[in-house]
Amino acid sequence: MRRSLNITPVPGAAAAEALPRIVAFVEEMAELDDWAPDLVLRSNLILEELILNTLTHGRTTGLSDIEITLESGENSVAITLVDDGAAFDPLNDELPANTDLPLQERSIGGLGLHLVRSMAEDLAYRHADGKNHLTLVARSGV
Amino acid sequence: MELAQERDAGTNVIRPAGRVDGSNSADFHESLMAALSGDDNRVILDMGGIDYISSAGLRVLLLLAQHLGGSATPFAVCSLAASVDEVFRISGFNQIITVFGTLDEAKAQLA
Repeated sequence: MRRSLNITPVPGAAAAEALPRIVAFVEEMAELDDWAPDLVLRSNLILEELILNTLTHGRTTGLSDIEITLESGENSVAITLVDDGAAFDPLNDELPANTDLPLQERSIGGLGLHLVRSMAEDLAYRHADGKNHLTLVARSGV
Repeated sequence: MELAQERDAGTNVIRPAGRVDGSNSADFHESLMAALSGDDNRVILDMGGIDYISSAGLRVLLLLAQHLGGSATPFAVCSLAASVDEVFRISGFNQIITVFGTLDEAKAQLA
């Protein structure tokens, strides 16, 4: 099954207010196509990190729409995100996740995208027609 | 966010439940900080009831660990679900926060 959800940023609203809709969208797809529990969790995590990143990190200039498309595969789900905000390639983010630093020196910057890049497969980004296009695959059981 | 809690001879065991994501992480932080006491000799966060944590939730755990590290209070987490354990490993949190398999192990070994 293939389905899309559109998120329209509301000026002044907390970015996290978009999350319940995303979770509900994922869980509905998961139930209809009988996804494994780990696939549901990974899909939710990948979408949360990417979408909150887009909504909160100052790239909302001109952003009026984020389209999320999910397509169920064999123990996997193909995720496509298209948004019309400022150009940003989350696969080449300059902030490296500092996963080796000791406790008192750790900060959380870049960790969300690090999780996405580690957890997803077949990641690809392009900027075309004035929009960010990101495709990736979440897989169960790896 | 609702947290179950038990204190036994200076050991503060805090037991959150549900999801920790960007929509409730501020609430999670506030609840955790309110569950701490200056009398705690050590703090164990039993994560057995958490099945989902994103970087927003990890940020809260980092702040908690740094806060307790600042007062040299031993701190550990235990009973991670497979999904949470995966996030801990990818983020390197298992190297900066002590993780035990079970609450009993944490109680026996955290010092």
